[in-house]
Amino acid sequence: MIDVKSVVKHFGDIHALNGVSLHIKKGEKVVIVGPSGCGKSTFLRCLNLLETPTSGEVWFEGECITDPRCNVNKLRMRMGMVFQQFNLFPHKTILQNITLAPVTLKLMTQEEADKRAIELLARIGLSEKADAYPAQLSGGQQQRIAIVRALAMNPDVMLFDEPTSALDPEMVGEVLELMKELADEGMTMVVVTHEMGFAREVATRCLFMADGQVLEDAPPTEFFYRPKNDRLKDFLAKVLV
Amino acid sequence: MFDDLPGQLYAALIKEDRWKLYIEGLGNTMIIAIGAVVIGLVLGTVIALIKVNANLNKKNVFLKFLDVICDIYLTVIRGTPMMVQILIGFNIIFAALSFDYSVLVAIICFGINSGAYVAEIVRSGIQAVNRGQLEAGRSLGLSNSQTMSLIILPQAIKNILPALGNELIVLFKETAIVGYIAVQDLTKMATLIQSRTYQPFVPLILSALIYLSIVMLMSWGLRGLERRLNKSDRR
Repeated sequence: MIDVKSVVKHFGDIHALNGVSLHIKKGEKVVIVGPSGCGKSTFLRCLNLLETPTSGEVWFEGECITDPRCNVNKLRMRMGMVFQQFNLFPHKTILQNITLAPVTLKLMTQEEADKRAIELLARIGLSEKADAYPAQLSGGQQQRIAIVRALAMNPDVMLFDEPTSALDPEMVGEVLELMKELADEGMTMVVVTHEMGFAREVATRCLFMADGQVLEDAPPTEFFYRPKNDRLKDFLAKVLV
Repeated sequence: MFDDLPGQLYAALIKEDRWKLYIEGLGNTMIIAIGAVVIGLVLGTVIALIKVNANLNKKNVFLKFLDVICDIYLTVIRGTPMMVQILIGFNIIFAALSFDYSVLVAIICFGINSGAYVAEIVRSGIQAVNRGQLEAGRSLGLSNSQTMSLIILPQAIKNILPALGNELIVLFKETAIVGYIAVQDLTKMATLIQSRTYQPFVPLILSALIYLSIVMLMSWGLRGLERRLNKSDRR
């Protein structure tokens, strides 16, 4: 589904990615962990071209998306993204946040989009917030709305960029719970996170990144209980106390 | 100064139907101010969008070229007095036009002047919107212009409303200098009546009161708009 071929990304003198290659199949839940500044987020943002790779190729559903002729907007409709800072639109109500993109891009009529948004809100138990503004919601609620906003586009894959890092501890659970449900429904997911519990429980594959490279790529049991790479052993010793 | 105030009022207002002159003058003032505000807002927003996008896509040569033109415009307009600009506009650039067109020349000159200030205000408003908003819009598949018009600009306008209101008020009052290019605006009419009656008090104070009440009306309208846009901030 997603094929990454030796992607390199430089920001001036900083080498964020030094040749990352990866194949992600439909239905896989890939969790990427690693120390901060190792290039995890940059890698994720290269997948939907929020960052343009300096070199290398990214293929998505048989299309080379790093080709300048590729229609980036079309591509992004099929890739949902969830950000650390939620990035809900503060001047729009919750319902408008969810329906804005599908209606503007003429994927649905306003009535269809409203109906779908109300279904999605009911599913996450926030129906009564449809006409509220983002500032009136808690962080956990905002992040769940952000996930639903991406889902309203019916994407083929969901990208999560540290979705729980900006949340108060007691709100992390509700967001992870929703992500777990998505995973159980078979959504293809790529998640950058510091939540080791989530990685162990939900991931079908765990990646360890450091210095802009993938140093370990293994199923979670192997990744957490029999790590091969020394850097990963060191990292796990620090985070799993 | 207050000798025979009823007589002064009569001379400045009633005699020879002089009250009509204030209304005619105010009409010209309003036409110039409204025309210039429209030109200024459109021009300023376009320039701000060019500058912001040139900054986002540094490799685009065409945008870079437009950006340089905008910089020259901003430097010249903000670096010279409005008074000089309007004299140049009337006596040099549009010198071929007859006096009948002086209101039009005034609208164009004030619009071009205001555009420079509005551009900087709008640019600051756009740049104050969190970058994550642009990324969120783009990640949903919206194009750059859809994201700008639906997500970034509405938030930017909310941020800049007080500064923009200020610019509109300044522009409205500054139209008082158009008398220099033979436009009969409110100020010009007041001095005209003064030159007939030899009594400055009534025409000058009256024109000041008219300006003041219109500015107060504008402030009131802007406050209402601000309140409406701020409804999404309530917690």
